[in-house]
Amino acid sequence: MSILVVHPGAYYHIESFESARYASYFDARVRPEDLPETDLSLYNVVLIPCRTAADRMQPHIAKLQAYLDGGGTIVATGESESQLFLPSITFTPQPTNFWWWLTPGADLGVRIAAPDHALFAHLSQRDITWHLHGWFDPPAGAEVLAVNGEGKPILYVDDVSTAGRMVITSLDPFFHHGSHFMPATTRFLDGFLPWMRSELDQKVHK
Amino acid sequence: MTVLLIHSHYGQPPEGYVAAAAAGRLAIVRERDLTATDFAGAAGLITTTHLDQIGFLAHADAYTALLDRGGRWFFNGHMMREFVEGLDRYVPLIAPRRADYVLTRIHDHPIFGGIDQRSLEENKGVAGFYGRGHNPPPVGAIAVNGIGPERRPIDWDWARPEGGHVFSHAGNDLGGMGGETGNGALLTQRIIAWCAGELGT
Repeated sequence: MSILVVHPGAYYHIESFESARYASYFDARVRPEDLPETDLSLYNVVLIPCRTAADRMQPHIAKLQAYLDGGGTIVATGESESQLFLPSITFTPQPTNFWWWLTPGADLGVRIAAPDHALFAHLSQRDITWHLHGWFDPPAGAEVLAVNGEGKPILYVDDVSTAGRMVITSLDPFFHHGSHFMPATTRFLDGFLPWMRSELDQKVHK
Repeated sequence: MTVLLIHSHYGQPPEGYVAAAAAGRLAIVRERDLTATDFAGAAGLITTTHLDQIGFLAHADAYTALLDRGGRWFFNGHMMREFVEGLDRYVPLIAPRRADYVLTRIHDHPIFGGIDQRSLEENKGVAGFYGRGHNPPPVGAIAVNGIGPERRPIDWDWARPEGGHVFSHAGNDLGGMGGETGNGALLTQRIIAWCAGELGT
């Protein structure tokens, strides 16, 4: 069991990683600035949470690439500009409509794209629906797990671009859960983190 | 002496702060680049919801010295660390409903002068953006605004016994909380003026 979470230290990170609800999903925490002294090979998963300042991660691009080359798994959630420090990510931001649900019968359009994927034994469509920040053009061969209303990927698994694996999403659950705002984000983490532990916490063998 | 805005997130600071910096009223410094010199030259400081609270503790000597000499700190967000003695950890509302977001002015404060607090309650008809809990006020703090029927102190101003003032706004960055009235720009200007010592307490 070895999951490392990058801990940028904002209140929503502190609430998400240090409070009792989810603390047991993270075997170790590391500050971005301490990554150079950290042996990432000890960990099966490195999680980089929502709203990690990209310029705190950019000094570590080579280290993250080497970790992936060694079969590691990186999980990166939204609003961190992950394309600036992780490989093979093409991201298009979109304006966020925080008020879509005020219209009776409105549908944000988020859909599960791979209903047989093990993640969706833990999550329903309503658990991945709160608002949107943008979409990706994943590399050929990546598995798209969820899409926005235009069918564009918002959550995918890339185990083709490196010897390891990346789980990439534009959803930002840690920010909202850690802000005590938007119950869907807590439901998301209630399902996503057990899946991360059961399915991702092992070396990638290809 | 200037006012220091500690810029913690990646990307541009809020527009009102950029304009104030251009006018020479504010120094904007990325949190990761902060040095003791930045604090030494400041009359006051503003921190945002994205503050790296763990990293900020490394500057405890510098910000405590700023307060000790009478400086002011406007804090936005949920306090999760005891930055100076007397502060305590954020307390969220539990399963809040609409009535729990009602805002009430408890004591007048120059930052909020002439602004109807209830006008800040909603954004496009939705309450909860202003804040959803409170940072426990230290002994002697003046509650400025309360949230919910119990009027928990979501905004307070504390004259620290050892010197200086801390203003706590336990929600989203106050300068972005103009509600339906467009008062966000005014609040931003007043936050800067308060930190500079140009507004009273």
